[in-house]
Amino acid sequence: MVERFTSKPIELPPADRPFVRADLIFHGLDHSGASFEAQVFLGSRGVGRDADRDHRAYVGSFFIFGHGGCFGDVGHCDIPRDRDPFDLRPPHQLEPATRILTVTEAVAGLLERDVETAKVTVIARTASKKPADVLAFEKVRLATYA
Amino acid sequence: MSVASPTPTQAPQALRHRRSVRRLTAGQLADLRNAIAAAQEIGDDRGYQFWAGIHGLPLPISCTHHTELFLPWHRAYLYLFEKALQERVPGVTLPWWDWTANHAEGVPEAYSRRRANGRRNPLFDSPIQPGGRENPRQARTVRTPGAPGELPSSAQVEAILANRDFLTFQTQLESIHDGVHVWVGGTMESIATAAYDPIFWSHHCMIDRLWYLWQLRHPGAGIPARLLDRALAPFPLTVRQTLDVSGLGYDYAASTAVAEGPGHG
Repeated sequence: MVERFTSKPIELPPADRPFVRADLIFHGLDHSGASFEAQVFLGSRGVGRDADRDHRAYVGSFFIFGHGGCFGDVGHCDIPRDRDPFDLRPPHQLEPATRILTVTEAVAGLLERDVETAKVTVIARTASKKPADVLAFEKVRLATYA
Repeated sequence: MSVASPTPTQAPQALRHRRSVRRLTAGQLADLRNAIAAAQEIGDDRGYQFWAGIHGLPLPISCTHHTELFLPWHRAYLYLFEKALQERVPGVTLPWWDWTANHAEGVPEAYSRRRANGRRNPLFDSPIQPGGRENPRQARTVRTPGAPGELPSSAQVEAILANRDFLTFQTQLESIHDGVHVWVGGTMESIATAAYDPIFWSHHCMIDRLWYLWQLRHPGAGIPARLLDRALAPFPLTVRQTLDVSGLGYDYAASTAVAEGPGHG
């Protein structure tokens, strides 16, 4: 778990390929701990832990309603691997989440400035508003739609 | 393939209307308070503590968050809780908290007043049964609301309602939903305890209403067919049975008025 993460540069769509919508899609988000706001920044470079909603690279937030920890015995919150295809029970409560943040104007703005790649920084803040070690996800994807 | 939005299947007079909590009449608000208070007095599986516990603690935690069943599961949950309340006060319905409006007010007055009509306001807080607590000292629900300006805006909601794909709509709406849980804070901030706070039900009523509005706005869109026959455990309902709110006996009419017809005599 981390409080802040900056991705490697992500390729922006070619300027000659117009789009009507751009989404940042966060896959594999952990939601086992405290609830938090994930503030997202998009720019040619990452941002520091003090950046907030007033930062010029801020493009929006997504939220995670967390389980607040494990209340069972050892192993209760371990997500099973190799699920039996004939297992009709509901998936484990802690199967990772997905979040979709629409960032159309921000991506268009970067392209107007001839930016070709951008880094995504995510800062997780819990109710205290301070960055907190609650952030974990597998990947972030930029998708545009024509 | 997907399945389209609701088609009324019952005569309008059979439906009950869920209303904005800020527009309840004094009588409607009294009915809600009486129903919640009466449910709090029952210690078995008809009572408030039983229903709040289904969402989180005591284990098992049955709610579905961060999954494809988020909206249908919570629609079933509200429906059955509302049915339990109607057994206490016939005709009572859950109100919605429109957190896109009246930001300066923060938590609606119906929920924020410690006392109402000379007695403890059952919408202000709730006991938490021992098995429902994250720690032994958590005997009652508490709130720590954020700055009113940080509640979702109507522009944010409009952007989400414009999604034509159900799963994208649901994912983005759930994020807004998560943010309101964080904004209310305290007991509402954790999946394990959130449903013990009486405002939980009005928050989710708003979420359910937004799904209803999305269904009306996108009649050709809907839930992927592969999900329709999924069970919504522990409730005796499938996803398909939650699609049409009129089939569940309620709607979110902004206003309603009735005039008698000539009859058949």
